[in-house]
Amino acid sequence: MYQNPPPAHSPPLHHPVPQHVSTVPQLRSPPPPQPPSQSHSGYGYAQQHGMPSQQGGYNNIPPAFGGFINDPTAQLGFQMGKSAMNAGQEYVEQNFGRFISVGALKHYFNVSNTYVVNKLWIVLFPWRHRPWSRQQRMTNNTQDVFYLPPREDINSPDMYIPMMALVTYILLSTLLAGLRGAFKPELLGYTTTQAISVMLLEILIIKLGTFLLNISSSSQLLDLVAYSGYKFVGVIISLVLTSLFGQMGIGGSWISWVVFVYCFNANAFFLLRSLRYVLLPESNPQGVGGSAAGYTNTRSQKSARTNFLFLYSYGIQLGFMLWLTKV
Amino acid sequence: MVFFGLGGLFYVSVLLINAIAILSEDRFLARIGWTANADPGFGGQRDDGIKARLVNLVSSVRTLMRIPLMFINTAMIIYLLIFG
Repeated sequence: MYQNPPPAHSPPLHHPVPQHVSTVPQLRSPPPPQPPSQSHSGYGYAQQHGMPSQQGGYNNIPPAFGGFINDPTAQLGFQMGKSAMNAGQEYVEQNFGRFISVGALKHYFNVSNTYVVNKLWIVLFPWRHRPWSRQQRMTNNTQDVFYLPPREDINSPDMYIPMMALVTYILLSTLLAGLRGAFKPELLGYTTTQAISVMLLEILIIKLGTFLLNISSSSQLLDLVAYSGYKFVGVIISLVLTSLFGQMGIGGSWISWVVFVYCFNANAFFLLRSLRYVLLPESNPQGVGGSAAGYTNTRSQKSARTNFLFLYSYGIQLGFMLWLTKV
Repeated sequence: MVFFGLGGLFYVSVLLINAIAILSEDRFLARIGWTANADPGFGGQRDDGIKARLVNLVSSVRTLMRIPLMFINTAMIIYLLIFG
């Protein structure tokens, strides 16, 4: 694929055809003096092994700034850096796909505007919402059941709202601290760590409860992350309204408690209804959708699971929301 | 910048796992009855009970984390000796 290497005593007369259009602007500058161009020929030889397409562009287009690109050392360093960056990018892309499956993430970000608005309404006012079950789409084999993406199913958890709410919470709490005059730059890091550790603890508690109560849940980890991120919406609303009413001077501290209690109740009810399908296995007599539950749920197991669900939705969420609003 | 508070979280979790790992098997756990149920259940023992699973979890955490905890504790001791 290489062209014939030029003889060492003459500058390269042929240039490989650039594969892509070079974006370096076409400026006029005097041609380089003779000695650098002879060392250019040596480096031009090395360049053809590396990136023939891009360096061909650099050979006939004079540099835009200062002429330091003519310096062969700088040019060698430049292309070494470029190849290192390409190699690093390939490595990251290869290994990133092993840790986090990007396809599953894309399913969670497949949202639409109406979905976001309706979901926020459900999170803040969940009492009138009627069907809470996620819709499934059957494939040919009844083993794999695909849940519909959030765009088509209002009950499907997404990652867009929790991620936005998390970032908004971090920025908002830092802003409120700055308005109080207590801002320091480490506060951003502290708040981030605090919020992420809250989510991690919640997922740990759910996993522990699932293991101890012998619940064979088929839900994904990212579902649990999403469900634990929805409470940031309530926390944000509570913080905003508290500081707003505090600024306007309406009422005492009781109004912030009213707002907080309402947001907490809304979030708890939302989690109760949503996690019912995660924590309590469905008792389908027909086994639609491949739930191969061969064991019988005893009454005590069911009551233990229901107790755990209540305890989690109300008790643990209360603790976490109190902690998060103590900005 | 994100890792500011994670040091404290890591510290607390290492302390908790240490606490689980140093419980004495025969002096303490046998007294309470939290030892591993090694005898095969003759039919009257519920394997999936919450207490059995908890006992299982505790004993598996102890078995698993015994050796890594040695290294983690050594590293933390050196770190705290140097950096205070």
